[in-house]
Amino acid sequence: MISFKNVNKWFGDLHVLKDINLEVAQGEVVVVCGPSGSGKSTLIRCINRLEPIQKGELVVDNMNVHDKKINMTKIRAEIGFVFQSFNLYPHMTALENVTIAPLKVRKIPKKEAEKIGRETLIRVGLGERIKSHPAQLSGGQQQRVAIARGLCMRPKIMLFDEPTSALDPEMINEVLDVMRDLAKGGMTMMVVTHEMGFAREVANRVVFMDDGKIIEVAPPNDFFTNPQTDRGKFFLSSILKH
Amino acid sequence: MLETFNFRVIWEYMPLYLQCFQATLWLSAVSLLGAILVGIIACAMRLSQTKTISRIAGIYIESIRSTPLLAQLYFFYFGLPSLGLMLPEWVTGVLALTLNSGAYYAEIIRAGIQAIPYGQIEAGISSGLSYFQRMRYIILPQALGMTIRPMLGQAIVLVKDSSLLSLISIAELTRAGQLLTSDRFMPVEGFLTTAAFYLIIYYMLKGFSAWSEKRLIFREAH
Amino acid sequence: MWGFYFTELLHSLPFFLKGLWMTVAVSGLSLIAGTVIGFVCGILRASGNKILRYIIGAWVDLIRGTPFLVQIFIIFFILPSAGIELEAFPAAVIALTNLAASFICEIVAGGILAVPSGQREAATASGLSPYQQLRYIILPQAMRTILPPLVGQYVLLVKDSSVVSAIGVVDITRVGWLTVQRIPEGIMVFGLVGILYFVICYPLINLSNFLERRMAVVGTRL
Repeated sequence: MISFKNVNKWFGDLHVLKDINLEVAQGEVVVVCGPSGSGKSTLIRCINRLEPIQKGELVVDNMNVHDKKINMTKIRAEIGFVFQSFNLYPHMTALENVTIAPLKVRKIPKKEAEKIGRETLIRVGLGERIKSHPAQLSGGQQQRVAIARGLCMRPKIMLFDEPTSALDPEMINEVLDVMRDLAKGGMTMMVVTHEMGFAREVANRVVFMDDGKIIEVAPPNDFFTNPQTDRGKFFLSSILKH
Repeated sequence: MLETFNFRVIWEYMPLYLQCFQATLWLSAVSLLGAILVGIIACAMRLSQTKTISRIAGIYIESIRSTPLLAQLYFFYFGLPSLGLMLPEWVTGVLALTLNSGAYYAEIIRAGIQAIPYGQIEAGISSGLSYFQRMRYIILPQALGMTIRPMLGQAIVLVKDSSLLSLISIAELTRAGQLLTSDRFMPVEGFLTTAAFYLIIYYMLKGFSAWSEKRLIFREAH
Repeated sequence: MWGFYFTELLHSLPFFLKGLWMTVAVSGLSLIAGTVIGFVCGILRASGNKILRYIIGAWVDLIRGTPFLVQIFIIFFILPSAGIELEAFPAAVIALTNLAASFICEIVAGGILAVPSGQREAATASGLSPYQQLRYIILPQAMRTILPPLVGQYVLLVKDSSVVSAIGVVDITRVGWLTVQRIPEGIMVFGLVGILYFVICYPLINLSNFLERRMAVVGTRL
């Protein structure tokens, strides 16, 4: 479904992604972790071309994402993206937030789009808040609307960039619950996160990155109990100290 | 001073004042519309990815902001004839006001657009919305709410700026005061009446600004 | 012909420089006096005293609601009828100082009110007197919010100073107006006028932008 082949990226002179090779199959849940600055956010932002790459090939659903001639709208319609800072549109209600893309990009008729929107919001537990504006919602609620916004496009892939890092601790679980459900339902997901419990439960594989490179790739139990590399060991010990 | 304040003269000149009041309103309104239009265009140019277009808009805006309106007014009033362009005074006046406020509007609109967190634009991109769709549904609606107050502020400035048109012999409110001074040697009555009329416009615009903000209050809540 | 006018303009350069000096003098004096008065009024306006706030507020509204040109005419013509003989230069400085003070008053009051109330509480708890609180705690912090718009206001005042040419003060604009009667090349003459104002204003605008960025960075550290 997602295929990185020798992907390299620079920010000016800074080499932020170094020879990335990774395959993500349909229905797989991959968790990407690593210290700050390791390039993990940049990695998934390249998938829907929020960030361009300079070398290598990134193929999503058989389409070469960084080809100059490709129709990005088509690709992006198949990818849902959830941001650390939610990025909901403050001047729209929850329902309007989740239906704007289906209406304008997939050109779905209004009645149908609103039906999908309502169902999705109910699914993430916000059936009561359909008419609320983001300012009236808590962080956890806003993030769930953001996830619903991605889901309403019926995407093939859902990408999450540190979805719970900006949330107060008591709200993290409501968001992880939604993500767990999604994973169990067979969605292809790539999640950048520090939530190791979530990774253990739901991920098929954990990708550990440091300094722009992929250091280790392993099923979560293998990685957490028996990391193969020194850097992997160091990273785990430093986050488990909390 | 107040004992000798000649109300009868003011009453006598009231038709002239009302005519000039109307002229001020009309000149300001036309210039305001022109300025908003110029502002939108200049702002779009300024935000363009093409460096040359952006630079041209930048030069226009910086020149206007670094020089006084009166100098700009005289520039057109004395300069255009030497190019062979003989325009009626009011056209020159409106032109100067439009170009002047247009530059300020360009900056106001730009600030409104750039105040929107970039993350929302990324969310729009990620959903597959096109540039125009992002502008229409995400950026402009929010920018409008945020810029209403400074735009009305600039409108007030524009009305006050229109007083300078009296210096190129246009018959508006300030000119009425000047006429009362030159005809009847009554600058006190003349200019205080003028001031009173401007205050009417000022308070009307201020009231409108407060009213429109109440309508858009939830945008401020963000 | 154009070449002839150009050399004539070059010969007028000393006259323009005199005008430049006059602009600097009028603006400079008004800025200094206006800043002092503005700070005092701003501090008073930010105090709890309702009466003071109302009176100063009314004064600010009057200044903001009327064009500066009208204010100059009022001061220039009205004070003599109350018995005070006034020449153009002092009238100009008084009017511009008045304008400066009212805007600076609002900026200062805004800056003081922006200081978190917790600061005042902590200072009171330590036993500092109101004067000490203002001098050591409130005002230094308020300066962070005040400085950028203050410099921005200075730019506006230099530009507003051009209006004093209407009562005969021989500043840059007046020099331009007088010169264009002899050298009817409006674009050249007022182009030069523009350049001279630009030379004063552009650095000040950049200073204001620089201060704004600097203050924003410092603010986030807090």
